[in-house]
Amino acid sequence: MNEQTTATLGAARIDLGDLGPRLFRGGLVVGFAALAAAVALGWRDGDQLRHFSFSWLVSFAFFLSISLGALVFLPIQYVTRSSWSVVVRRLAEVIAMALPFLAILALPVLLNLGRVYDWASPQPRLLTPDLAAHKAPFLDPTFFVVRWVFYFAVWTWLALFYWRTSRRQDRTRDAALTRRLVNRSGAAILIFALTCSLAGMDLLMTLDPAWFSTIFGVYYWAGGFVAFSAVLTLITVGLQRSGRLVGIVTAEHFHDYGKLMFAFTFFWAYLAFSQYMLYWYSNIPEETAWYLVRQQSGWQRLGLLLVVGAFLLPFAGLISRFAKRSRPLLVFWAVWIIVLQWFNLYWVAMPVFSPDHVPLGPVDLSCFLAVGGFWIASVSRLAAADRLVPVGDPRLQDSLSFENA
Amino acid sequence: MNRATIAAEIDNTAYDPARPTELVLGGETFTSVTDKICGIVEKPRPPRAWYIAITVTGGLTAVLLAAVFHLITTGIGIWGVNSTVGWGWAIVNFVFWVGIGHAGTLISAILFLLRQKWRTSINRFAEAMTIFAVICAGLFPAIHVGRIWLAYWLFPLPNYQGMWPNFRSPLLWDVFAVGTYATVSVLFWYTGMVPDLAALRDRATTRWRQIVYGVFAIGWRGSHRHWHRFEKAYLILAGLATPLVLSVHSVVSFDFAVSNLPGWHTTIFPPYFVAGAVFSGFAMVGTLLVPARQWFGLKNFVTLHHLDNMNKIVLATGSMVGFAYATEFFIAWYSGNPNETFAFVNRAFGPYAWAYWIMVTCNVVSPQLFWFKRIRRSLPAMWIIYIFVNIGMWFERFVITVTSLSRDFLPSSWAYYRPTIFDVLTFAGSVGLFLTLVLLFVRYLPMVAMAEVKTVMPAASVHGGPAHPVGDYHGDIPHGAAPALGQEVRP
Repeated sequence: MNEQTTATLGAARIDLGDLGPRLFRGGLVVGFAALAAAVALGWRDGDQLRHFSFSWLVSFAFFLSISLGALVFLPIQYVTRSSWSVVVRRLAEVIAMALPFLAILALPVLLNLGRVYDWASPQPRLLTPDLAAHKAPFLDPTFFVVRWVFYFAVWTWLALFYWRTSRRQDRTRDAALTRRLVNRSGAAILIFALTCSLAGMDLLMTLDPAWFSTIFGVYYWAGGFVAFSAVLTLITVGLQRSGRLVGIVTAEHFHDYGKLMFAFTFFWAYLAFSQYMLYWYSNIPEETAWYLVRQQSGWQRLGLLLVVGAFLLPFAGLISRFAKRSRPLLVFWAVWIIVLQWFNLYWVAMPVFSPDHVPLGPVDLSCFLAVGGFWIASVSRLAAADRLVPVGDPRLQDSLSFENA
Repeated sequence: MNRATIAAEIDNTAYDPARPTELVLGGETFTSVTDKICGIVEKPRPPRAWYIAITVTGGLTAVLLAAVFHLITTGIGIWGVNSTVGWGWAIVNFVFWVGIGHAGTLISAILFLLRQKWRTSINRFAEAMTIFAVICAGLFPAIHVGRIWLAYWLFPLPNYQGMWPNFRSPLLWDVFAVGTYATVSVLFWYTGMVPDLAALRDRATTRWRQIVYGVFAIGWRGSHRHWHRFEKAYLILAGLATPLVLSVHSVVSFDFAVSNLPGWHTTIFPPYFVAGAVFSGFAMVGTLLVPARQWFGLKNFVTLHHLDNMNKIVLATGSMVGFAYATEFFIAWYSGNPNETFAFVNRAFGPYAWAYWIMVTCNVVSPQLFWFKRIRRSLPAMWIIYIFVNIGMWFERFVITVTSLSRDFLPSSWAYYRPTIFDVLTFAGSVGLFLTLVLLFVRYLPMVAMAEVKTVMPAASVHGGPAHPVGDYHGDIPHGAAPALGQEVRP
């Protein structure tokens, strides 16, 4: 173990300490209670838990996208040799390390595919027999599960690599480890891009097996990256409120958080617009069918909410330097973005379950709290295992004295 | 370049996380930077090679003018376009040149916002190249309209006939997108150059130079107030130019993607076109910069570290392009749409298979060699790959445009497209125009942004102490203090 026993950097506290177990227990309690509530509420609906399953899928896909955002944030920081992010990198490592635990949360979906995926049900109704036969090699339940085992294996392997190497560097202070991480990160991004975009298509695009869009995988990723930036902001502020990381993460770092949220909000909207505009303009029924469902029976209100709430308002709200450096404003927009990005996935997935009305209700809230509770429990458990700052990184000093010049 | 000069390269690509990478080598000082960069422009006569080069490129430009003259006086029929393939080389060339025009603004705007300090050595050159590429690009749709004397109808000008352009046409959006991009790129390039133009003015020894550089330096005196406004303007322009980097090629992709044509109509087109544009732009910057740094003695500014970084961007964007090809293929199959599947199988195995496989080899396979450190740092290897990418990206646009058009829904109207000699001459002429402008640029304007390069030299850093030139080789500077733990750290 390292000779350094006090977990402080300067005067600041850099361990989770007693907060870790409290968050862990709290997360588990909320998770199990909400899960019980969600199942009970779902049962009462008398739809063989279909609403529950869809809703679980939405929240699972949402928290998965956040952890995937962290998983690509890390290699991007390394390939670009960024030093600003060193002080907050451990938080991203921990968020990415929630991926193996998310594999457990995937079970309610994977164990009963037919409940949410029309192509896996005994009587598919969304595909013509011809199309069903054509797509059968890919939309095969066994192959689907094999793919998901593969995705989680790859993601866990990547997340472990970053977490372990970084923690080893805490002890050894070995600059060679940073070089090694830099050298491997290019390949990591490539592996990530391939698995994440295919996983996004698998998880959400195949809900409507007749519909297709080449940009969909990137769209899923971009929304997740916005949400990840917001979650990173919230976690950092939360830790500072509890007296941790004070003076380590400064307004300069928050400024960069704000830039990430701003830039990727725009990028997400750009992808959403590209997809919508091209399909609307060409007006081919097999492509517009997906939007047609989402433009009636109340879903159009949610769609407009996304245009205004997930794009225009945060765009305007985060454009100024002042907003990006003000912690209260950043917290407001981070919460806002998280809620709206969850609604984005809700709007993508739920119309397949309920095309005729927006079934927003306590089941959805319960599922969100359940997945979120378990997710927080796993993240806080992992964060408690070590210091919250990678103290062995040779660029730590650069990061601490970082300025947005 | 011979073997000796290659061996003399200083390898500053090794990454030491504990200290910043030296971006300017050779013990350069502020004075020597100014002397060297201005010196290129101030030579009374350019080298003989410059005259030879501009004679060749000027000749090609004359060919372009002749070809365009023949086109205007005769008609579009001199080209190889037919009623099936109504878009031929002209559109291919347009997209090719616009794509090349992406690196400059990406380097100057996006890399600026991302604090990539290495951009300072190459941004001026890349921005200039951007503008020249956009000029070449703008030429093609203008001469393709048929009656070029009515090309101004593309603008929504009120006129006595009460006619307006078709606002639903992506070709009109192009007019606005490319027009805006060209305007902002010129402004950005010029704004960044003002302090350097003032330096040239102040050093000018002839009346003629004093007047010309003086006019374009718009009264720059280097006061604090000037610098303050300069930095502010630069940041605002960078912010404005950033979405433009995405928008121009997105709109160009709409030319294809809004149609109902298989192979064109796919939602990945906008970001995929942008990635391809950056890819081709960096390849073109590299194509020109590798020889330029050799001939004009810029090796201390455009170091192997810079080229290494550029090659990484080529690798990243090339992989994105490959990813997009793969996604298109997969969705073409997954969609179960027979027309879509046919379009892609036809691309890879139809009559244009030769073009398709040139594209794949050049765009997907060749940049993958940049995974190897040795290749990223070898000047001949990288230059060859840049040439491959230039070829591959031209063929990408050819494959997209021609294969989808030549075989659409009605087999009876299928046709094979062959360019005529005038297609070839016009394209070769546009290359001549581009290179002529580049040669004029390197002769009369500062090739490296002196004022910006100075800001990334150690002497400019408050922590760097007094002007302390960084040495020629590694190991001459003690490593910076390791991060201290338990020490008072207050940013």
